Amino acid sequence: MENQRNIILAVLMTALVLFGWDAAVGYFYPQSKTPTQVVESGGAKNAAGPLKPTREGGLTNAADVQLEQQDLKTALASGGRVPIAADGVSGSINLRGAIVDDLVLNGHRETVNKDSGPVRLYSPAGTPAQQFAQFGWVGQGFATPNATTVWSAPEGAKLTPQSPLTLTWQNGSGQTFAITFTIDEDYLITATQRVMNRGAAPVTVQPFGLINRTDRTASLDTWNVHSGPIGAFDGSVSFGTDYSDVVESGVVNSAERTNWIGFTDVYWMSTLAPVDAAASGTFRSLGNSLFRSDLVYDEAVVQPGQQLALTTKLFAGAKENAVLERYEAEGITNFGLAIDWGWFRWFEKPIFWLLLSLFELVGNFGVAIILLTVIVRGIMFPVAQRQFASMAAMRAIQPKMKALQERYKDDKQTQQQKIMELYKQEKVNPLAGCLPVFLQIPVFFALYKVLILAIEMRHQPFVLWIKDLSAPDPLMILNLFGLLPFDPPSFLGIGILAVLLGITMYLQFKLNPAQVDPAQQQIFMLMPWFMMFVMAPFAAGLLLYWITSNILTIGQQKFLYSRHPQLKAQAEKEAADKQRGAERDKPAKRGA
Amino acid sequence: MRVGELPKRMLVLVARAWQLGPSLLMPPTCRYQPSCSQYAIEAVEKHGAIKGGWLAIKRIMRCHPWGGHGPDPVP
Repeated sequence: MENQRNIILAVLMTALVLFGWDAAVGYFYPQSKTPTQVVESGGAKNAAGPLKPTREGGLTNAADVQLEQQDLKTALASGGRVPIAADGVSGSINLRGAIVDDLVLNGHRETVNKDSGPVRLYSPAGTPAQQFAQFGWVGQGFATPNATTVWSAPEGAKLTPQSPLTLTWQNGSGQTFAITFTIDEDYLITATQRVMNRGAAPVTVQPFGLINRTDRTASLDTWNVHSGPIGAFDGSVSFGTDYSDVVESGVVNSAERTNWIGFTDVYWMSTLAPVDAAASGTFRSLGNSLFRSDLVYDEAVVQPGQQLALTTKLFAGAKENAVLERYEAEGITNFGLAIDWGWFRWFEKPIFWLLLSLFELVGNFGVAIILLTVIVRGIMFPVAQRQFASMAAMRAIQPKMKALQERYKDDKQTQQQKIMELYKQEKVNPLAGCLPVFLQIPVFFALYKVLILAIEMRHQPFVLWIKDLSAPDPLMILNLFGLLPFDPPSFLGIGILAVLLGITMYLQFKLNPAQVDPAQQQIFMLMPWFMMFVMAPFAAGLLLYWITSNILTIGQQKFLYSRHPQLKAQAEKEAADKQRGAERDKPAKRGA
Repeated sequence: MRVGELPKRMLVLVARAWQLGPSLLMPPTCRYQPSCSQYAIEAVEKHGAIKGGWLAIKRIMRCHPWGGHGPDPVP
């Protein structure tokens, strides 16, 4: 009776988890089905579809993607632009408004395909993927440049790490405005805004910088990775504000001093940071899916013959850990924390560091993950060894155990207690305790987090068909590896890695000592196949870790069994006994 | 429920979730009687969230192959 109840319970739970998991994974771990490739002609039929953000960000429906391509062509061909050419980014600055609105990341491709274009971060106002940065002034009683002001640039100017760019504009009443842009090898553009008052009267100005973007290109905001408005206020980095919060309240102000402010995706970010000056930051909803973050300096009076200069650092690029940390060292407070490591940063960063170091050593992230697994299992090896030693000691007291089990077979509670007492008398314990398990959970979680968070793992191949360890296994068994033209529902979307996980886990479980309760043993042996479905939608790198770990555990068991041959014999005998016992029980159960 | 009991209830919930979730799916590993999770529940019920929680942490910290074993009830 008890057994049947257990089995029914197990089946129910399995069904619940299997189907509930689908929904939960969609929520917790978005698949990185890259939206950018499929562009249908006249794809307007998709235009009304709801926007489902992806992990990588970018436009999600075909009509938008097509429109973006057309609009970009017209916007960028219209002239009046100064090119930007640096190692990290390329693009141009629009002379109308002095707006940085055309920027692609040279080092990051849009998709896994080698010939896919670079990731586009900035796109001019009015395009579907709009995002740009602009610097300006608020003035009182005199003309200041605005978004339609046409600035002058020197003949043949180009913004490169070697050649800064200065744009100028005169307002006709004695004030000259100038913005000097410099760019580094990575993702930092420094803008110095200068106003020179050659008029007769003092003027009052308030310089500002802004980033304007749409949330249509935003990456998915999940419970453990934030996408949306971001900033550091009084030194503490805030991940708490979402686009929806800004829409709700219209304007989100921060009372504290702003260290930097802007918008982030999982992999990309664009922020403004004041240099040596106090400024206040604001997020604003402009309606129609558009948002703006403003960095506004204090109002200042510029006397005749005087000038006022303020410098702002504009970060526009990929959230590469080393780059962010360097900018932090160069003065942007807590910029390294812009990566949403979460509570377990202290544990994730060492794992991240170890992985990166291994990667530099071997040049392949898959191999680096395997090496990481070897290191973790190596550290755990003494635990397993110790456990085997006590299992060997266990064998010596086996007869006494049997006797106890026989004597108290109707009273499980007392039986358990007596066995515990026996262990204590004989100073043996076959079980490892829960600490070893707890120690391994953080490693697994850290790897999980690093794989979804770190751009260093994005598009990193392993071997054969695995081109991106940070994405799920792309081969689906159900549609014959893409030969059949359909996408299986995600809870059935198991790939080869998932099957390998199931098989290795099954083999590993088989080597474990059998459970006392046969019903429990049955559930236990179903586990691997169940985990196969559960783990399938996770990053390929995470499955690789688990598979390697299973294989190493199997190897370790075999090795330890060979060191303690008497245990192997015993394990085999026990298994055989169980088998016989189960067969004996069968007809009896049918009768009951 | 009183607000003061909230941390206590939360801890018990975590322990129960462990018992009904991961613990069910893993091979038994308990060196002690009662199990760590049961110990945590009893300790928190008896001594409150802070002292009980601390007792539970200490218990988990000694629940490894070099630690003790056998009956180990909540003091």
